[in-house]
Amino acid sequence: MDDSELTVIIGLEIHVQLATKSKLFCSCNTDYQTAAGPNENVCPTCTAQPGTKPYDMNAYAFEQALKIALALGCDKMNDKVTMQRKHYFYPDSPSNYQRTSTPIAEGGSLAGVSITEVHIEEDPGRYDLKTGIVDYNRAGVPLLEIVTDPVITSPDHARKFLEELRAVLNYLGAARDVESGSMRADANLSIKGHNRVEVKNINSFHGVFSALTYETSRQKNMVKNGLEPVRETRHFDEDRDITLGLRKKESVDDYRYIPDPDVQPIAITKEQLKRIGDGLPELPRKKMERFRKQYGASDDEAHALCMELAMADAFERIAKKVDAKLAAGFMRGTLKKQLNFRSWDFAKVAPKEQFITELLLILSDRKVTDKVAEKILIDAMDGKAGQTTAAQYTQDAGLMGVQSTAELESIIEKALAENQKAVDDFKAGNQKALQFIAGSVMKITKGKADPAAVQELLKKRLTK
Amino acid sequence: MELLPRTLSTTAALKSGKLTASANLENKIARVEKYDGAVRAFIETYFDDARAKAKEIDARVAAGKPVGKLSGLVVAVKNVLAVKDKKLTCGSKMLENYVVPYDAAVVEKLRAEDAVIIGSLNCDEFACGSDNTKSAFFATVNPVSFFDEKGEFASAATAAGSTEKYVPGGSSGASAAAVAVGFCDLALATDTGGSIRCPAAFCGVSGFKPTYGTVSRYGMADMAMSFEQIGPVAPDAYGCALLLSVISGGDFRDATTAKTVAVPAPNSTFAQPTKKIRIGIPKEYFEGANPQVAKAVKDAIGRFATKSGCELVDISIPAVKFGIPAYYLLVYSEFASAMQKYDGLKYGAKPEANDELVPTVSKVRTANIGKECKRRIMLGTYITTKEHKDAWYTKALKARAYVRKQFDDALTNCDFILGPTMPNLPWIIGEKAADPLQSYLEDVLTVPANLCGLPAGSVPCAKIGKLPVGLQVIGRRGSDYETVSLMAQIESTLVG
Repeated sequence: MDDSELTVIIGLEIHVQLATKSKLFCSCNTDYQTAAGPNENVCPTCTAQPGTKPYDMNAYAFEQALKIALALGCDKMNDKVTMQRKHYFYPDSPSNYQRTSTPIAEGGSLAGVSITEVHIEEDPGRYDLKTGIVDYNRAGVPLLEIVTDPVITSPDHARKFLEELRAVLNYLGAARDVESGSMRADANLSIKGHNRVEVKNINSFHGVFSALTYETSRQKNMVKNGLEPVRETRHFDEDRDITLGLRKKESVDDYRYIPDPDVQPIAITKEQLKRIGDGLPELPRKKMERFRKQYGASDDEAHALCMELAMADAFERIAKKVDAKLAAGFMRGTLKKQLNFRSWDFAKVAPKEQFITELLLILSDRKVTDKVAEKILIDAMDGKAGQTTAAQYTQDAGLMGVQSTAELESIIEKALAENQKAVDDFKAGNQKALQFIAGSVMKITKGKADPAAVQELLKKRLTK
Repeated sequence: MELLPRTLSTTAALKSGKLTASANLENKIARVEKYDGAVRAFIETYFDDARAKAKEIDARVAAGKPVGKLSGLVVAVKNVLAVKDKKLTCGSKMLENYVVPYDAAVVEKLRAEDAVIIGSLNCDEFACGSDNTKSAFFATVNPVSFFDEKGEFASAATAAGSTEKYVPGGSSGASAAAVAVGFCDLALATDTGGSIRCPAAFCGVSGFKPTYGTVSRYGMADMAMSFEQIGPVAPDAYGCALLLSVISGGDFRDATTAKTVAVPAPNSTFAQPTKKIRIGIPKEYFEGANPQVAKAVKDAIGRFATKSGCELVDISIPAVKFGIPAYYLLVYSEFASAMQKYDGLKYGAKPEANDELVPTVSKVRTANIGKECKRRIMLGTYITTKEHKDAWYTKALKARAYVRKQFDDALTNCDFILGPTMPNLPWIIGEKAADPLQSYLEDVLTVPANLCGLPAGSVPCAKIGKLPVGLQVIGRRGSDYETVSLMAQIESTLVG
């Protein structure tokens, strides 16, 4: 059986931590990542001491949840949401039940993935199996769970969806930084017509892609070999990028949901929805469309620019001073490559926007080559440029200016003289030798030459 | 057993300086030392803390500085309520040595109003019971077992040898017993299905369960969350009103009280008829009751009506018969959920062996939770499973709504409902041990108020032999002040 005949069906349950200062049902600080030690940000309520009750629900958290639901285009907003208790015994849960709401909203879609529902719940604490230590700093942090329909067709599709989801969350400022463990996912994956497997414990955006890729090929291989994947829950091992079957089931899958008697149902009003809807920013998809129209950006450029609000905003300011096409190309290519390489967000990055603008200005005036511009950018990102301006830094590094044809011709003569063997090789028919000579020309110019011009002049000179 | 000084006379004596807080406390301590060996009300006494507090109050009074509303009154607290740095046992082995790190909202308020907290009181384990025999530690005994007609304490020998030890009711049996025997001026108790009113009736004192959401439950260990309230037990309705005015009011730490305002302190309108009221007498409250009890309550209501000129209306609330099944099914479900947290891993009883998670938790629960609580956990777990939920849990919710509707309708027609608090007289300890259903049936007249969230109280109205009979007053949701005020009117009619 051919791979392409096997259709993969994936559904995701994504948990994101809402960006709030205090927990969902008490006033403890939500900062569990940099807290001084285990169980610092806890109180009788979030450790479920006998007698404690949930405080009134954190209204800000609920508002953030509504914001996200609206931004995902959920078309069915429920007018009443009930908190339920989901019972299971595990040390990370202080009360051995988790408070989880009925759906806040249903419908909606993003990147071609339809949304089943979104609801709000409490994060459990953290239990370290090896040491047996339980840390309740995280217990009660508000979570939003986004459940997709089983319509995702490949790990790559899942990645695109998550990228856009991440962008939406970034625009709204409603969720905590998604790469620092505050996003977790469970996935359902099956080969069409075969058993479904659940993969749990995926703790990053990148992990989703790895886990799904592994699981896709595992299941495809089984099916190709005439084996039926077992209907089971598997655990993602992030260190090894593989999924593992759980050795044994700890509990039966019956959480005995009951409405939490301590929490009054929450009403969602039309006025509230209108107010939140009116306050939503321009969302990534809209912005991409506008960038294509307004700035003539390509699909790739619009996508790269719009995945982070800070970058999209910076682009728009830069495009007022510099040719938009040039800026889009540079930011999507040179800059984005460096950001990805460093796993940096634009928002957190030096050099300052002013530096980039100036760099683009000298680039557009052809005062520097693309090659030099990239080098200056890397230096600046490495912190080498300090407080100097882009022009000044380039000047000081002796990289300002582009070699004229006359200058290049004399450098070429110098390079040919130094590389007689390569010249002979080229004349004997070795095309690669030309690249070698071009490289040495570029080296002499310190990148201040246009590589295409160098190639052309070299060819001319050697074939005349 | 008319030993009780009325709350008003105690507060008057304290205010005038005739009685110091310290002297009042020492009187109480003396009684505790003399009689608690027989009554067994206290789980823990806080005599040192109480003496320090009384002394501090006396110093403030002497210096002419302001003092709180409960200044110098000695209060004891049912041991399901958190008193910071003291044991919160809930009458269970599971929490036998658990020291609670915070004050319940009601305890904060007691402190703020200068009550002198004397100690914590026994109860049925996690408030599951109607007679106080289900405490994991010891059974509290109804003081009527020890005091003769003249109010004299029977000799220790008689007491020890007596086969007639009556239950004080439950689950707040020790709260009512402590008030009845004068161990404290006032007590705090909790009522999930009658746990304040039943012991108040059995011990011959006043007790009141407020409208659901009137008093913050922050710091009250859960039994069944959608039913329960903290309320006062006192020698008289005035004491209930005074304590209620202190403990009621909104608290952000209990979301069900978010919109609550405090019940006013008893003022000049208290115990005064403000208008001609209509009182409903549901026939279902009398049909199944012990005929002697039914007659005593009817007589008392008749006397009150004659004196006060209120209008009595015979009514019928057929849904009363669904009260017990709806109540218990929902209580089981909520209780099983509430008890999940007791896994021996965080606080309370410690697991013996460090086995796998499930067997470890299972063993520690098996060893430290009593029979009645286990029964409720098992049943609650069973009826909330996917398979059985619709047949039991969901149906019980519907029955609850049905009962609620009928009571609301009745209370549209009438201002109050009156009837017996308990269908029977106090029984002898051990008498109902064999069959839990027998014990559940005793709650038939008290659970409707909890199912419906209505304010309800019990006042003593008669005695049959030496055994007290309680008259129950049920008001409209939110009419707590008026309900306690009516209790006081009835009380003054019957006493005076």
